[in-house]
Amino acid sequence: MSAKVGTPLFYSPLSYLRIALITFIARRLLFALVLLAAVSLFTYLLFALLPTDPAALTCGKNCKPELIEANRVRLGYDKPIHEQYFQFVKGIFTGRTYGTGDIAFTCPAPSLGYSFNQHECVSSLIGKTFPVTAFLSLGAFILWMLLGVGTGTLAALHRGKWQDRLTSVITSIGVSLPTFYVGLLVLFSVVIWLQWLPFPHYASPSENLHDFLTAMILPWITLAVLSAASYTRITRNGVLEAMNEDFVRFGVAKGLKNRTVIRKYVLRAALIPIVTIAGLDFAALLGGAIVTESVFSLPGMGRLAIRSVTDSDLPVLVGTTLVAAVFIVMANTIVDIIYGILDPRVRLK
Amino acid sequence: MKRRIIGLLGLALSASLIASACGSDSSSSSDTAASTDTLAIPGTDSSTPTAGGTIHILSQLEQITHLDPQRNYTGSDLAFVGSTMQRALTSYAYAPGSAGSQLVGDLATDTGTPTEGGKVWSFTLRGGATYEDGSEVTCADIAYGTSRVFATDIIVDGPTYAISYLDIPQDADGNSNYPGPYTATADQQALFDKAVSCSEDGKTITFTLSRIVADFNYTVTLLAFSPVPKAKDTGEKYDMAPVSSGPYKIESYEPGKSLVLVRNENWSKASDPIRNAYADSFVYEFALDPAVIDERLMADAGDDQYAVGDGGLQPENLQTVFTDDRFKDRRQDDYDPYVSFTAFNVKTVSCVEVRRAVYLGLDREALRTAGGGPYTGDFADGFVKPALADDYAPSKLPEGLNTDGTPNIESAKAALAEAKTKCPDVYAKATVEGLKFFHPDTPIWQKLVSIWIESLKAVGIVIKPTAVEPSKYYPTVQNEETDYDISRGAWGPDWPNASTMIPELFLTTGGFNLTRNGDDPAYKQFETDTKAALNELDRKAQGKKWQALNQFLVDQLWSIPGTFTKAQDLWGSKVGNAYRWSSSGSFLFGELYVKQ
Repeated sequence: MSAKVGTPLFYSPLSYLRIALITFIARRLLFALVLLAAVSLFTYLLFALLPTDPAALTCGKNCKPELIEANRVRLGYDKPIHEQYFQFVKGIFTGRTYGTGDIAFTCPAPSLGYSFNQHECVSSLIGKTFPVTAFLSLGAFILWMLLGVGTGTLAALHRGKWQDRLTSVITSIGVSLPTFYVGLLVLFSVVIWLQWLPFPHYASPSENLHDFLTAMILPWITLAVLSAASYTRITRNGVLEAMNEDFVRFGVAKGLKNRTVIRKYVLRAALIPIVTIAGLDFAALLGGAIVTESVFSLPGMGRLAIRSVTDSDLPVLVGTTLVAAVFIVMANTIVDIIYGILDPRVRLK
Repeated sequence: MKRRIIGLLGLALSASLIASACGSDSSSSSDTAASTDTLAIPGTDSSTPTAGGTIHILSQLEQITHLDPQRNYTGSDLAFVGSTMQRALTSYAYAPGSAGSQLVGDLATDTGTPTEGGKVWSFTLRGGATYEDGSEVTCADIAYGTSRVFATDIIVDGPTYAISYLDIPQDADGNSNYPGPYTATADQQALFDKAVSCSEDGKTITFTLSRIVADFNYTVTLLAFSPVPKAKDTGEKYDMAPVSSGPYKIESYEPGKSLVLVRNENWSKASDPIRNAYADSFVYEFALDPAVIDERLMADAGDDQYAVGDGGLQPENLQTVFTDDRFKDRRQDDYDPYVSFTAFNVKTVSCVEVRRAVYLGLDREALRTAGGGPYTGDFADGFVKPALADDYAPSKLPEGLNTDGTPNIESAKAALAEAKTKCPDVYAKATVEGLKFFHPDTPIWQKLVSIWIESLKAVGIVIKPTAVEPSKYYPTVQNEETDYDISRGAWGPDWPNASTMIPELFLTTGGFNLTRNGDDPAYKQFETDTKAALNELDRKAQGKKWQALNQFLVDQLWSIPGTFTKAQDLWGSKVGNAYRWSSSGSFLFGELYVKQ
């Protein structure tokens, strides 16, 4: 019996591993999709169960019952809740048209609803504010990782010495300070009292790089300083733990240079849990750094979310919550997959 | 049409202030002004206004609530939009102090001509006014602008006086038969065109009202009666880019970020006797943290020297700003438009002696201290604020009332003893059963209500508090089914005429009458006198009538006066004309100038 060309008679161990990995990734992605569906359902149900009537919020203080009812029909709030949810999900993929005739308007896909408060499609509002939040998150993330990992490693390598003690004091202060306090302090001192920088007026980097940088530098520093404190502690502990591992001692015994041992053995081992936490923290930040954006007047998604709360702008509230949830689920999935790739034991469980 | 109920936070802070003699307790601030000498008014000085420069307005809001003239309604927004971009038929004089309440023609040559006793009003247009594209402002544009108010599904949040006043039939539910210009049929449009018409030469616009409105010329100061060119009307979206008829136009507008106004080259000073338009441009900066605004104004550096805030100072900074001489030339502590009050349910507290006992025995000073101290306001002596110069006269307060706000236990007990014989049922309710006091469920009110209970306990009056969730407070106390004996409120006029205060608060048809006073023996007389005042065309004579009615209300004590509430401002050292305009209770933004 001859085998068909191209079909292996048996799978090599490497192929088994590859199949296991693909299965693992597929499973994680499927789970993420189910989770997202559940999150969207839960968020929409919360929205529907709130005592506020979204139709009554559409026409200001001169609302009359018939107008409220007309808007209820126009926005589809007259339908049973399961139908509303179906229309909402459908809108994400196909877009959604509200009303009929001359007064009809459409929110193209991915439609997350329409804000009567701001007279704009929710996805458009999120589209405008998300880049600000993304730039803020990315800059702060890079800065806090550099600061946190750097000082944490330094403290571990000088365990018990003044560098370690100083780092310990600074991180204790850092983790206990609230964001709004640090933000205001930085803003008041650098911009208002010392006048080293002009008051931040956000512009996109493509429009005006100078304004972008002057608007972002203080929020980056504020977020980075506060988050770096936790990462310093985690890194310090991770490095100290790794330094006691056999493979590190082996490297030292082999006569490798200290720098090589630290870079190739210690940090690589210590950074695995940090990457996991960092991924989740970064995703949470993408959902909106509410306090930082408010203090520094950055028109980001966090401020959009908080405004939707104060204005009872329910469609925006649902939209921003859902987008934030998507980032968290995505980050979780990516971290899981990376973990699975790095550590085969995880995917075989 | 009734509005400007003070926000619950402001209410909570100022609500405790119940008492006497306006202005008698303003020693806390040397900046409080009531002088006819404009130089004594904060924000005015001897410098000569000069043209040029940029004025910055720092705001914690995300955007101007509405730029669309027909949707614009709050005092600060009206002052900003009205003084920069939208003209109306009439306006108030652009002047500090009480002169700022004087009615003057804007697009109209004068303050209008009433006929049929005030049922028909005509305004002759000045001519020469143009929009930012250079096209002429026409009578038809003013009529069209007014018609937009009726499109209540699109033009939301604005004042609806046009719907209430114009002689257009309504259905059984009180809805106008005219649905606004966007959906009206030819027949429906004809209803509006009959009520608002332009003369053949287009120089006179005439409003036919469904009843006498003696101060309709004040009503048309509202931008709801401003012109909108039909061809440029974008409905709901007009709010973001209205066409300017004033000295400035929009250069850029990004809610959450900024609004930049620059000069409208097609505005002509010759057609506009009111506006001076000193600054070259305005930059409205949105979404700033209130603490940041205060700190920037105090630091007074860079562009912030040319800045004003639009939301007043934060309470934590008042002590610093008003005790530090660095700020003495750029701060003000002055009245805002509101009057706070405590309303009795006159159906259940039908005995004036009991109401007087409450007034005399309440520790108003303790309440004011708990609410924030003298910065929250002066003890009011009635329901008409001194800023309504024609309608205000000091009231004669109940005998024995301590002007410093402390309780007069003896006088209160004497009033209660009178009640015991004159109205034993209400006396028993007040002293045994207890008076049900509905208040917002906020931390500050938890403190205030304990002062109410303790201070009136000394008189022998029992207070039974009921806390109401703050967002439901007004709907609750405005519900006829709610069985309170005492409630709280505050109100500001829609224009400088007590016609938007006294009838709103005390007529049974008023928009914010919490007193349920319709069955009181004195009500018929009050109603007759109020209607006579409403129909009085002679403004001076009308003012006298409001003064008498204000005294009548203080005598009846259906409500007890709280405070003439105040607000505090700070501005940059190079801002001129930073006075508080009496008609809006805010800066007159368009008149601000950059000091050289």
